[in-house]
This record gives sequence, C-alpha cells and structure tokens, in this order.
Amino acid sequence: MLVFAAVAAAADPAVVSLRIVPAESRLTGSGASQQLLVLGKTAEGAEIDVTGEASLVVADPAAAELREGARVFGTSDGATEVTASYAGLSSTAKLEISGSADHRPFSFARDVGGIFTRRGCNGKGCHGGVKGQAGFKLSDNGVHPHDDYKWIVEGGTFRVLTDEPLGDATPRINVDKPEASLLLQKAVMEIPHGGGPRFEKGSDDYNTILEWVREGAPYGEEGGSNEPKIVRLEAFPSGLVLDPGQKHRVLITAHYDDGRTEDFTHQVLATVHDTGIASMSSDGVIEARQPGETAVLVKAAGRSVRIGVGVVGAELENYPEISANNFIDEEVFAKLRRFNIAPSKLSSDEEFLRRVCLDLTGRLPPPERVKQFVADKSPDKREKVVDALLGSPEYVDYWTFRFADLYRVALFPVGINPKWTQAYYEWIRDAIDRDRPYDEVARERIAAQGYSPASRHYLPYLVIPPAENMMGEEMRVFLGRRFDCAQCHDHPYEEWTQDQFWGLTAFFGPMFKLGGNPSSVIFDFPDGKEIAADVPSPTPLGVFHPRTKEPVQPAFLDGRVVPYDQSEFPRRELAEWMTSHKFFAEATVNRIWSNFFGRGIVDPIDDFRSTNPPTHPELLAKLAKGFADQGYHLKPLMRTIVLSKTYQLSNIANESNAADKINYSHALPRALDAEILLDAIADVTGVAERFDVGTNRGDWKGGITPMGGRAVQLKEGDLYPTAFFDAYGRPNRFSVPERDTSPKLTQALHMLAGTTYNEKLWKPGARVYDLVEAGASDDAIIEELFLAAFTRSPTPAERKAIQAQIAATPTREQALQDLQWAIVSARELAENH
Amino acid sequence: MAYRKLGCLHESATQSARRDFLRVGSLGFLGMTLSQSLRLQAASASTLQQSAKAKSCILVWLEGGPAQMDTWDPKPNSSFRPISTNVSGIQVSELLPESAKRMDKLALIRSMSSFGDDHPQAVHYAACGHLHNPAMAFPSLGSIVGKELGPRNAMPPYAIVPRWEKGRQYEDYFRSAFLGPDYDPMLVPDPSKDNFAVTDLSLPKGLAPAAVENRRSFLDIVDNNYRSKVASAEHAKMDAFQAKAWEMLLAPGVQKAFDLSSESDKTKDAYGRNSVGQSLLLARRLVEAGTRFVTAAGYHANSWDTHSDNDKGHRDRLTPPLDQGLAALLDDLSASGLYDETIVIVMGEFGRTPDINPGLGRDHWPQCWSLALGGGGLNTGMVVGESDERAANVVDRKTSIGDLFATVYKAMGIDWTKEYMTPVGRPIKIANSFQDSTGEPVRELFGA
Repeated sequence: MLVFAAVAAAADPAVVSLRIVPAESRLTGSGASQQLLVLGKTAEGAEIDVTGEASLVVADPAAAELREGARVFGTSDGATEVTASYAGLSSTAKLEISGSADHRPFSFARDVGGIFTRRGCNGKGCHGGVKGQAGFKLSDNGVHPHDDYKWIVEGGTFRVLTDEPLGDATPRINVDKPEASLLLQKAVMEIPHGGGPRFEKGSDDYNTILEWVREGAPYGEEGGSNEPKIVRLEAFPSGLVLDPGQKHRVLITAHYDDGRTEDFTHQVLATVHDTGIASMSSDGVIEARQPGETAVLVKAAGRSVRIGVGVVGAELENYPEISANNFIDEEVFAKLRRFNIAPSKLSSDEEFLRRVCLDLTGRLPPPERVKQFVADKSPDKREKVVDALLGSPEYVDYWTFRFADLYRVALFPVGINPKWTQAYYEWIRDAIDRDRPYDEVARERIAAQGYSPASRHYLPYLVIPPAENMMGEEMRVFLGRRFDCAQCHDHPYEEWTQDQFWGLTAFFGPMFKLGGNPSSVIFDFPDGKEIAADVPSPTPLGVFHPRTKEPVQPAFLDGRVVPYDQSEFPRRELAEWMTSHKFFAEATVNRIWSNFFGRGIVDPIDDFRSTNPPTHPELLAKLAKGFADQGYHLKPLMRTIVLSKTYQLSNIANESNAADKINYSHALPRALDAEILLDAIADVTGVAERFDVGTNRGDWKGGITPMGGRAVQLKEGDLYPTAFFDAYGRPNRFSVPERDTSPKLTQALHMLAGTTYNEKLWKPGARVYDLVEAGASDDAIIEELFLAAFTRSPTPAERKAIQAQIAATPTREQALQDLQWAIVSARELAENH
Repeated sequence: MAYRKLGCLHESATQSARRDFLRVGSLGFLGMTLSQSLRLQAASASTLQQSAKAKSCILVWLEGGPAQMDTWDPKPNSSFRPISTNVSGIQVSELLPESAKRMDKLALIRSMSSFGDDHPQAVHYAACGHLHNPAMAFPSLGSIVGKELGPRNAMPPYAIVPRWEKGRQYEDYFRSAFLGPDYDPMLVPDPSKDNFAVTDLSLPKGLAPAAVENRRSFLDIVDNNYRSKVASAEHAKMDAFQAKAWEMLLAPGVQKAFDLSSESDKTKDAYGRNSVGQSLLLARRLVEAGTRFVTAAGYHANSWDTHSDNDKGHRDRLTPPLDQGLAALLDDLSASGLYDETIVIVMGEFGRTPDINPGLGRDHWPQCWSLALGGGGLNTGMVVGESDERAANVVDRKTSIGDLFATVYKAMGIDWTKEYMTPVGRPIKIANSFQDSTGEPVRELFGA
C-alpha cells in the first residue's frame, strides 16, 4: 500500500493544465455553500484531484469565504471569483451570491430528515430497515417524511402486515424537556444506543434537532406542490478510475424540478460497497486501495446515485498479445486490458481436458482417454473433444442431474408418488437429450397442470403450496430474481413493490387439486371461478392482498392486468410473458455460465437487482441475445462458452492477476458437488457406490440401486441418505437448491473414518487391487492413479517421494491402500481447476 | 408490565433491559442518577449470559402428534382418567403414571398453538419455527443452539438419535440450512439395535491410528504440487478441519460418550430396551459429554399419528415407552445435578382432534396442544395456559413455537431477538412468533 501511494504521488508533478469544478457557482440563500474541486490534467490526458494541494483565493473576501479547505460560502450578495494555483498553474471559477440574507423556512423533510440520511440513521441496516430497528422505524433514506414525522412525534411500533402500530406509542421527543428527547439522547449516547453515537452533543446536527424540539417540533414547510422537489442527484465525476493510493473527491449536486441545482456534497450518506478496493473518508474523499472494482452508493433526500470506482493495477510492461476465439474473449480481454490485468496462459491439454469433461459431463476422463488426447496432434482437437462430450450419454446424465436439482425432482416434495417423480425426471431428461428450446421447457413447467409431468412440483406432499411460494420459485428459477421480500413489504433493495408481488401471485390463484391421494393432479379453474359439487354456484377464486385484504387480479410486472374472467388460463399467459422477457434469457445464460466459471456474471446467479450489477454487462447482453437468436438451445451456448479462450485459460496465476476473482483472468478452482465427487471417487478406485433406498413409503419398495449406477443418475435424490452426501452439502430439493461446497469438519471426519473413503480401497474389481493381481509395478500403479484422479502424470519428485513412502510402509498392500486414500482425499481431486 | 411486551417484541433483550431501567430512572423517586442507571444496565447486559443456566437441551420428539387430552391435558373427551401428580392441583392422564410422580420436575404448556394441517408442514414448523417455503430453507432449533453456544469438549454440537431410517423427509427439517453443515445434526443410528456403531466418529475396525498417520504422510506428498500451484483459501480451512477431525477421532471422551456398553443393564432396563428408551439414554450421555442439543427421536414414521385406534395406540404402544424413558431420564439428570443445566422438552408437531373419528382415531389438530418441559433452571411444577373443556381451543396464554424457542434461548443465554441474515440478505428471526413478531420467553418459567 505504501509503495503504491508513493508511486501515485510521484506521478503528480506531471500536471499540464488546471481547472476548477464547477466553473460557475450560484450560491442562493443564507449559508449557501459550494464544494470546489481542483483538477489537474496530466500529460497523458487523465485528470487528477489536486484540491488538497492547490491554494485557493477568493477575489472579494467580503462576498464569499473559504472554509474547510475548498468549500466556499456566500457572505454577501454579489459576484466574485476564486482562483486555484498549483504547480505553477492557475485557474479561475466564477461565483455569484444572492439572497444571502434570506433564511429558508424550516422544513422537517430537509432539515431533520436530511440528518437521518447523512448520519446513517435511516439506512436499510438500521431504522430504515423494513421493520425498523429496536422499535423505531424511519423510512429508508427519508422517502416518506410524513411517516418519519409521525414515528418521532407520536411513536409506535411498526408491524409488517398492517399499518396499525402495536402497543404503547412512545414519542421520540420531549417538548417539555427538549434535551431529554430520546432522539437526541440516543444519538449522542447519553442513553445506550445499539447504533452507537451518531453525532456530538453541541454539534450542528444536535443543535438543529434541539432547536426544532424547542420550537414545538413543527412539521414546517409542507414541501407541497409549489415547493421545488429534488428529482435527482448527480455525481461528478460519475465514475472514477484510480491508481492504488490515489485520492479523489466527488461532488454531489441535487437537481430540483424547477431546474435549480444545489451542492449536496456535504449532505449525503455515501457507502463504499467493497472497502478493500476503495475507502471513503468522513469528508467524502475516495481513496483507492487495491486493484478491482467497486461502487459508491450516495443517498440523500430520498434519491440515490451510484458511482463506479475502478482501481487499476500498475501499468504492465509487455502486456501479452492474446487473440480472441469469440466475442466472450473480446469482452473479457478488453476489460482485463483496461485494468492492467494480464490473462494467464492457455491451459495445458491435461488441464483443459479434465476441466471440460467435468463441466460438460460431470465425469473424469479415464486414463486411456487422457493419453489419446495428449498424443493427438490435430489443431482442432479441443473442438473435437467438446463436440464428442456434447454428444455423449454422460452429457445427458449430467445435465439432467443439474436440472433435476434446480427443478427439485425428489420424492416427497413432488407428490409422494414415484410414478410422478419419475415422469417429471424423464421429462427433464428428454428435454436435455433432444436439446429442446429452453423457453419451451420453461413455459411447460410454469404453466404445467393435469397429467403434465412438470406439474409435480406444484403438488409437494400432495398439497398445493401457497400461491406466493409457487410464484416466488418460478421467478427465481427462470428470471433470476428474488421477489419473496416483496411479499410482506416493498422490496428493500429493489423497485419491486408489494402490489407487484401479489399481482404476480394472483396468476397462481386458480389452482385446485383433483382426484384422491396419491394420484391427485392439479388443474386451474377456468376463468378463476371455483366450480365443484359442494359449491352451489361458481365462486370467484382469488388471492388477497395482505394489507388491503382486497382480491387481487393477475398483473405482470409492467402493471398490465389479466383479469380472471378474460383469460381461460392466466398461468399460460404468465409463462409467455416470462419467457419473452429479456430477464429470462439473461438469467438463463448467467446460470449456465456460472456452471463453467464458478460464478455468474451476476452473482449470486439468482439475485439480479440494480444494486447487484453484472461484472460484464455487454457480455451478458451478447450471450443473452445470442441465446435467444439461436432459439434457446443450451448446447450451442455451452459450446460457445467452452471454446472461448477465457474458459481455457490456465489456473496458474501471474503477478498481475493473482488477486482477481471476478474478471476471468485465470481459472479458479471450484469444489466438486457432492454427487460429482462421489462418482469421481468411485471412478478412481474402480468401486462403484451402491445406494440404499432409505424409505419404503407408499408403493415404493426401496432396495439397493443396481450395480454400476452413478450418483448423478439418481432420480429422486431425497431417497438415498448417505453420510457422504450430507457432509458434502447435497441439497435436499425441498427448496431451490443452494449448494455450499466449502470444506467442512464433517467432510474431514468422513474422509478419515467414513465408509466412502475406506471401503473402496482393496477388493476384487478395484483398480489397484486388480493391477496388483495382474502384476503391475508400483510405478505403473502410481502413473495410473494420477491419470485417473488428476488427469496428469506424476512429476519425478512426486514419483520419488511416493516410492519412498511406500518403502517406509510395513506392507505393500497397506502402502497402496494408503496411497489411494491420499489420492481420493486430495484437494486436486476434490476441485475442478 | 405493558412495556415489557413492547420491549420484547421489538428490542433486543439487552435493549429491553435498558428500557426497564430507564423506566425506573424516569420514576424519579428512586433518585437514581443516569450514571447509576448506566452501571446497572451494563450489569444487566452481561446477566443475559451469566444468569442463564442451561447449557444443553434434549428434545424428546413425539413424531406424529400426541393427543393432548390423552397425555398432558386430560379432559372429559378422553377415554382415560386424569390422575393426581406430585404437585397438588396438577393432573395428567392416567397413561403417564411415572411422569405424574415427577411433575415437580416439569412444567406443562397447555396452550400451544401452531400451523400445518399435515405432518410435513407441521414438523417443519415445529423444527424451524417457520412455515416451509420452496424459495428458501430455514435452520432448525438444534442448529441455531449449536451455532450460538458452540461445541464443547470436541463433541458434535447437535445430534439426532436415532436417525430416520425411513421417510427421511423429516430429517431434512432438522438441519442447518444456510448455517452450513457444521451445524447439521450428527445422525446417530438406533442405539437399541445390536449392531449399533457410530460411523465417522471412530476409526473403522482394522484401521490403526498409525495407519492413518501413514495416510496423512501420503496426502502431504500427493497434494503438495497442486497446493503450491493453485492458491486457495480452502486449503488452509481443510487442513484445520483435518486436524480437528483427528483430535475428535482420538479424543477418548468422544468415543466413550457413544459407548452404551459402559451403562449397566439396570440402567438400560430403567430407560426401556427399545428405540425410545435407549435413545434417551444415549441423549443423556451426549449432553453429559458436551453436545448442546439432542433430538431424541425414538418415535419415528409418524408413530403418534393415531388416525385409527387412538386409545389403543396411546395406551399400549405409545405412552408406556415415553413414560418409562422420560422418568429414567429425569431421575438420572436430577441425581447427577445435570438437570439444572439441561432443558428437556417433550413434544410432537401438533395435537389431535377433540372428536373421535369413525375409525376410532383422532386426526391432526395444530390450533391447541400441549407439551412438557423442564430443567435448565426453568420453573417447574406448574401449568402455563389453558385450553377449553375439550382441549379444542386455547382459552388463555396462547403460546407459539417462537415463544417456545425464545424460552429455550433465554434459558441458555442466547439473545432470542436475534435475526440471521440469509446469504442474500433476508433477515430470519431465530424465534419467530405469530404475525411475524418475535417470540417471547414464557415468563412464568423464569424468575421467582
């Protein structure tokens, strides 16, 4: 860090010209001020912030004065200039001061609400959270000043599902004894405050609130239709690219609907997303720390603005020339170039083969295949192997497994009837096998009913789940968005409202269950009206808004309503709308992409929102467009991804890219999922796992899976309880799967003492046992094990060390068992890299 | 105590304690200065931990749902008579004679009310305190306790005895969700079976510690190349877990805790030579050794789900092993003094209908049911809440699963108002009561 800072400082003297921003300022009203920014242009054309180093002088000291460095305050009406000097250069900006004697009327929203934003009181993590904090609720970023006023002056306890406050209403102010106001005592920590001190006793903010309470705590100026409103915040600059150690201030300007602007630099709350990359001082200066990207979110007066901050690495000498295989590389490499990050070299044949086999088929290449591939001299051998893998039965097994996971094929959550579960599974398998257009598959699942195999996930445990849960799942799976927060309140991080949530939910309103258990099916009542033997006349069905208790009609996110009585089957219309929305293609390509890189372009992959932007927006857009244009087939999408150089880069980092985790500069290791690792252990040892069906419920008789079966082929994952799956985080498919593949204590225990790692090492049919029986040498066995597990030959040093350890072990049998144990326990096996 | 309610609903325990002192201070006549009250509240913040006695919990799980009127809340619509207990004024069903003799060690809540008309929803709700949601998974009570209190003596913090052999859908509800596999329950086989052996916590037969050392030497060689080339923070993590696992495998206390052979035949007989009794015996051994939470699930496969022949089932098959095993557990824990720091909860996922159906059974009834609990410093020998004359509806002190969870947390010194953040930033209450409010500890069970 210190070294970087020194480098940046040394670059400073290269300034060739100077300017002040803003070049003209109008200071209107008593106490009005403007923060100034002095920028120096370097010989290379970049502008750097030299405000701190420049000296500033106001031409007419009676008209305006400088405080806190470069903040100029109007003192009497008139016009003057301010001049900045730096490194022998100078620049001048105009100032116009008016209304300096006019006091603005008090406004609760601006004068008190602004304090809550600036001091971080009304952020989402604090009182601005959906439920407030410690019983005290403020609107996020002061968007609802009337509500805030009520909470403070009258008190109350917020509840999610109703506007009625609960229990005693405790005012946060005390008009009789203003200093004893809870609001002040908490903020200065005279009373313990979970949020810590927010300002000092006697500070400007303290005095503002105290005066306000003394005046009787009026709401003040209404800010009604005549009062100008702030319509947006503007940041200057709107984005920053900095060297490590470099500092830069940003100016924030509020724009009013009457066209007026006001400097808001000192009235905002700014938070840096990743403070490891850049930090921000209390007076608003951003300091770059280490290469990477982050964003600063600036909030004030119910508005917000985002500033992207990129911190580039040191300029590289001899930046490598690397050609692009396709548009993926163009996008990825261009960004790497921008950030002075050099991509790693292309992977070796062995490295590529192992990675692509695991990613396309979930299976390690057998030793023979590795040797063939390495020996193959044809220039297009990578393309050929990709096409062979895409056409293999293992591809179908693996991607059926992937989607069976996402679509939650499991016995209990999809209807407690193996007949249905397996039909659901086969429907997925067929779609993968024929590479059916994914939009078609999605529509079938979203609109599924009756005997359609895809309808089963709507009938877990033979019960129709709450409509809002079904909606939430479909949105997350197909649009990559989490709407569930909006169930109870407007989404805290997003523009989704509670009304939109229930409008979408209403599409799932007319479902009913037909037939007796366990062969019941779901249907939608046509026109949203319930018709049944025990119902005298058709009754309108519906979903009811939790706050208003009013029935809700189905409505798309854009507000378009699909009344029940004008649509025979609203869920089909929803499916059409969802799959033609751009969210659908984006979410799908992002999901597939993550399978090959361990992270999405938006990550987490099903958490698209404006505050979680993509790392490569253009790339995401191009992938999505390409996917839609070619007809939503998964295979061509995957082919494009794995044939990119980006995918084929080595896992060995270089000096410039070692810290990069998001820009695809080198391959990052990804832990194998439970099923894939178990199959890998079975393949390496040569002893297949047999799965014991852990239930005999219903007409499912249970038993043991056939010999030679693999974990990815299990149809109903929930039927096979194993310590291995538990330890390695196989999801149970009761909810949308979220796998956690990080190392765990239970894995370490299972590795040392568990059956998977101990019972496959020495028995007829096992790889090493049979090699020994056939008279193979230790060296041949070591070679074979390395090829099978790591897709590479051992290095001479490894060979030598292993030979020595074998010699030090009491018996050869024990040595070979222990070696196998080590190989299947190694991280090199447990990760795709 | 109106303010108490406000405080507990929306403030953390320590904040609520502070508020109480503020109230005292604002009364004025106590003459308390601000600094005095600050000192006092500082003391009360740490008392949340200090005054808590409970260090572990055994959940005696009655899967399927016992009939409240035939167990803890005897009513005229039960075929069984009420009997007196060793606490005057409290009666329980004649099906629980041994428990009745130990009523001073238990408190009864006769006003439990929950959700879920069928087992999957109701078990999920009872285990996690939240309704099942396909969009996300919730951590169970045992996982939360394990995480909050942390492991002791190299013992796994959370165990289920025995694991579900069949119909393991429920097993998944007792897991850690986003808290991670380290807070998943250790799944212990049925200790009443002859071939009872604990996998993953003892080395397989024929594998000597020296051989494991040899394996680790091989692993150092084999993994070295990759680790030096591909940097990953996961490597250090895995090494730490390996060291810890090794320590657990060699720790004599851990092996011993699972070894029922060190219990006398007399003790085994006292608990009952069946899955229910032996699971309770093993549960006792596990909490003695340091496990934080044990779900003793000797009743499996909806055992208590008496849709037909309710009375016969309760009388012949269901209550006898419970009554016997629970009595032995309470006696043992009390004798060793461990009951003061061990909470015992006896419950299923819901109660049963007040009416007998045509199959002579009782069906599901979540709106009013009973449970028994005690130990861990909780007040006992008392009844909380009241149901109507047929144990059909709650008439007083309606109590939620969230209130029960809050009670357990408070007894253990865990801040029951805590919320976890899911990986995508959705807050999840650890004690979730009705209408999205925070559960409140059952006040009658605390203090003098």
